[in-house]
Amino acid sequence: MRNSGFLESLNVFYQYSKLSLKVMLEFKLDRSMITLAIFCREMIAVVVMLLILARFLHIRGWDMNQLFFLYSFLFISYSLFVFIFAGVRDFDQLVHSGEFDRYLIRPRGLLFQVVASKIDLPATLGHGVVGVILFMNTAFSVGITWNMQNILFYISVVVGGAVIQASIFMLTACMSFWAIRIENIRNLIFFNARRIAGYPISFYPAFIQKMLIFIVPFSFVNYFPAQFFIRKEDMNLFWDGFMYMTPVVGVVMFVVVSLFWRFGVRSYSSSGNALY
Amino acid sequence: MRLYLELAKKSFQNNIVYRADYFASLINAIVLIFVNIAIWKAINEEEGALGGLQLNILITYIVISFLMQTVYQMDEYFIEGKVRTGLISTDLLKPFYFRLFVFSYNVGSMVFKFIMQFIPAMLLSVFLFRLLPPFNTQMLLYFILSAILGYLVLYNINFIVWISSFWFYWTFSLVTIKDAAVMILSGALIPIWFMPTWLIDFIELTPFNAIFYTPILIYLGMMPEDEIFMSIVKQILWIIALFGIGHILWKRATKKLVVQGG
Repeated sequence: MRNSGFLESLNVFYQYSKLSLKVMLEFKLDRSMITLAIFCREMIAVVVMLLILARFLHIRGWDMNQLFFLYSFLFISYSLFVFIFAGVRDFDQLVHSGEFDRYLIRPRGLLFQVVASKIDLPATLGHGVVGVILFMNTAFSVGITWNMQNILFYISVVVGGAVIQASIFMLTACMSFWAIRIENIRNLIFFNARRIAGYPISFYPAFIQKMLIFIVPFSFVNYFPAQFFIRKEDMNLFWDGFMYMTPVVGVVMFVVVSLFWRFGVRSYSSSGNALY
Repeated sequence: MRLYLELAKKSFQNNIVYRADYFASLINAIVLIFVNIAIWKAINEEEGALGGLQLNILITYIVISFLMQTVYQMDEYFIEGKVRTGLISTDLLKPFYFRLFVFSYNVGSMVFKFIMQFIPAMLLSVFLFRLLPPFNTQMLLYFILSAILGYLVLYNINFIVWISSFWFYWTFSLVTIKDAAVMILSGALIPIWFMPTWLIDFIELTPFNAIFYTPILIYLGMMPEDEIFMSIVKQILWIIALFGIGHILWKRATKKLVVQGG
């Protein structure tokens, strides 16, 4: 059964998506309201930045377009991450409710099922719309020539950024296998890191910069890719190679975390309290 | 009265149990303050950007604002949970006023956050960020009064949103949109004096600046003494108006209460 092929998997994925979509359409008004709410929540930081820049015009040589271009990476890659990996984001609930046991007895890869079984369209759209608005308003006014090479690099960077964020979530999802609850701490670290990364990391003290490069590598989601495109002076603070490393960081993190995941699945014992 | 004090005490003790959450939100507040100060320092580097205003004052503004936000955080889904599980039907039968019960529950956890988060974080901030003390003792007293009134303004706004759970099954979206409005328009994240004039004029017409902005201005001694009286009166008027709206909605809500199963 396992080697029934790629097309077969694709078909299962399609069926899963259709089901998720049906659930969503069942609650049209509610889900649209949630999308709007997420949009508003994400706009808080954007509006605050807008108000600051309306008053001060630029911060350390970064003007409004450049700062918003930098910010747009966070939203677009997060949107892509949630679109594909919503199941990973909510993985801990799967384990705590015992639902995960059902996945174990199905003839498909576990990670595939976790990824395929859930689509969070409100979050995808809520973040995505903010990202696209920011991108469309800035991408053509910060002096980037959108040739083939740049477009390809942009895509690889957004995918890389999404994979980096997915890896952070998967790492904490793995902790659930040993019944360690760290969702609170993960959210604290993840969303604070994301908030910090909204501004150029060169604004911050050195230890925060180091943290965003080596520990929670959010700087590879937006700061270094943005530097590749708009090349500000403060890039001199960092090694030039960082600008090209986003896809590499993504792949390395994903491979390491996948190995950890396999190890985790092997030592999994059920919480034994199926709620459904 | 003793009953409600007892309820508040229970809620206070409830908070002690969740130690991980406690440390998480304390660290969260410190990190946010730290990051915001870094950004304002970066802005300040452009010469004269802050218009002669001392960076110290701005830092104090940010610290007080974020600490107040931590203390003012309320359990947004308390009433929704009661309605959805149907527990509200038994709560309504109990010999207390349900609204006072909700209020004592929130006050209990507010007092907890004040003692366990505000005070330690405040002391820490004095060393970390060189927080300015209140302008003078008189202003400190006005600040305390105004901050309590600010809490009541926010509580009454929140209550109106919470009550909507009688009509809507889920209130996540309304709560989140309300939060966005409060965060931007209350001056919690950026001092209102930096905003464009048309926006300031608009905010003057809303209750939002009565939550954080008024108390912080008083703390900093940036409000002339004759204006303080008016601002406090304005806070009280907003509390009365918002409470009135909440009261009408509550009367309607309890009349049409439908419990789904329970």
